[in-house]
Amino acid sequence: MTKEELEILYKSKIIPASKEPYHFEKHAQANTVIEAYNPICGDKYQLYLDMSEGVVQSAYFHGFGCAISKASTSILARKVEGKRLEEVVALGDTFIASLTGITPMDFDDECLKILNELKNFDGRVDCIKSSWEAITHHLKEEQWK
Amino acid sequence: MIEAVTRFDSFENANIHRGLYDLSSTATKRYEQIRTKVAHFLGTENSNTVAFTKGTTESINIVAQSYLSKKIMPGDNVITTIMEHHANFIPWQVLTQTHHAELRIVPIDPHGNLDMNKLRALIDSKTKLVAINHISNTLGTVNPIEDIIAMAHKKNIPVLIDAAQSISHCALSLDQMEYDFLAFSGHKMFAPFGVGILQVAEKHLGEVLPYNVGGGMIREVTNERTTFRDFPFNLEAGTANISGVIGLGAAIDYIGSLDKTDVSNHIRDLTDYCVATLNTVPEINVVGSPSGRSGIVSFTVTDIHPHDVASFLNQDQIAVRAGTHCTQPLLASLGLGATIRASFSIYNTRDDIDQLKASLIALIKFWS
Ligand SMILES: Cc1ncc(COP(=O)(O)O)c(C=O)c1O
Repeated sequence: MTKEELEILYKSKIIPASKEPYHFEKHAQANTVIEAYNPICGDKYQLYLDMSEGVVQSAYFHGFGCAISKASTSILARKVEGKRLEEVVALGDTFIASLTGITPMDFDDECLKILNELKNFDGRVDCIKSSWEAITHHLKEEQWK
Repeated sequence: MIEAVTRFDSFENANIHRGLYDLSSTATKRYEQIRTKVAHFLGTENSNTVAFTKGTTESINIVAQSYLSKKIMPGDNVITTIMEHHANFIPWQVLTQTHHAELRIVPIDPHGNLDMNKLRALIDSKTKLVAINHISNTLGTVNPIEDIIAMAHKKNIPVLIDAAQSISHCALSLDQMEYDFLAFSGHKMFAPFGVGILQVAEKHLGEVLPYNVGGGMIREVTNERTTFRDFPFNLEAGTANISGVIGLGAAIDYIGSLDKTDVSNHIRDLTDYCVATLNTVPEINVVGSPSGRSGIVSFTVTDIHPHDVASFLNQDQIAVRAGTHCTQPLLASLGLGATIRASFSIYNTRDDIDQLKASLIALIKFWS
């Protein structure tokens, strides 16, 4: 990625999403709280999901992290609301797999496409992935219970 | 260094302490000569105080497992500091927890200096070891090692120095110091990755026992029992990182060819210049202001996460580390999630720091 491409991406998408993240507030009363933590850089978010009848009714998040991880978690919160647990897991699996660059990606969603593009930006895949991995892992364990 | 390693790998490659053919005996001789070279570099004639390891982390773990775990009792304590690298923190945390002992952590003052009064108060008759870094890899603080050694030795307590960050600053006179254990890594002194040193004071040589067993470290093996060689050979089980040691020898020759005072002045000058330069930008917050700082400056940029800063600096060919620097307890105590860290070596110049500042200013403008 050239510096120009990086600047355009940040200016148009990442900075706005990270400066005004979706549902960025603590929601301690949520019935499912998931921690997304990247031990290498110290980024840490709490994801607050209200689940009922197998559906994510609302998703909030709060914590500390870089613009990319914040934008990614913000997009995640917006995407998972209203989805069934298995749909969230399927979306998470597909999205995480797409970040390897091996599995092709065919989302029609603009935001996910941009996040996916960022994988070409060396060293930052973990920033994109951390919250997605945390939620997918947690919900899979719920399913297996 | 690269030439020495390449020559060895290409033309002189053989295992040590094994064959009687020329290549092997030459390799053994070179390897042992480098042990002596390291000993001289550290100010001693006794090469048997020097063990080759994988690096600082392994050296410290050896002291925890092969020395201290044999001595520590419930109710004893180990003293370390809040500014340690995880390599000099976790081994003591795990060891004290398994032995029902106490880990005592010396705090820092608001400037990032070690709180010496607190250290004095924490040392008591149950203290089994003081483990401390020479230079903090996050704050750059140069700790008053000689005072700490004197304080601990007055009570007969051994001291381990993590010299990972200071070993290339030869002017810091490590060779004059009376520490009990010294740990450092080759890759911080222009040697290859994956080789390092544990040096042990003569009086403890018999107390560091094997931690890995196998070929090369034994005296005699029968069906019933095995007797082991003495330190340092009792630690070097299996085939060693011989090319790494060859590289370490060349790196020590190189460092030895430099003028100690020049190196030290250059690094200090860059460090001070970096702090002064970054302090001219209101959005940049330098972490700490210790009375002695060398080679390392950590900072944050208001409203921009360290990772984003590092990614933009990378686009301008500036390599910094961003994150928690393997010092999570320290960052937690400072209330910081992460920092950006600029570190300097002999090849850096003031111009590099001017470029760093220019890139940061451009980024701050871009972000606003
Ligand atoms: C102060 C300090 N201690 C220990 C280490 C660990 O060294 P290694 O990874 O070579 O074992 C480092 C490396 O970054 C360090 O800076």
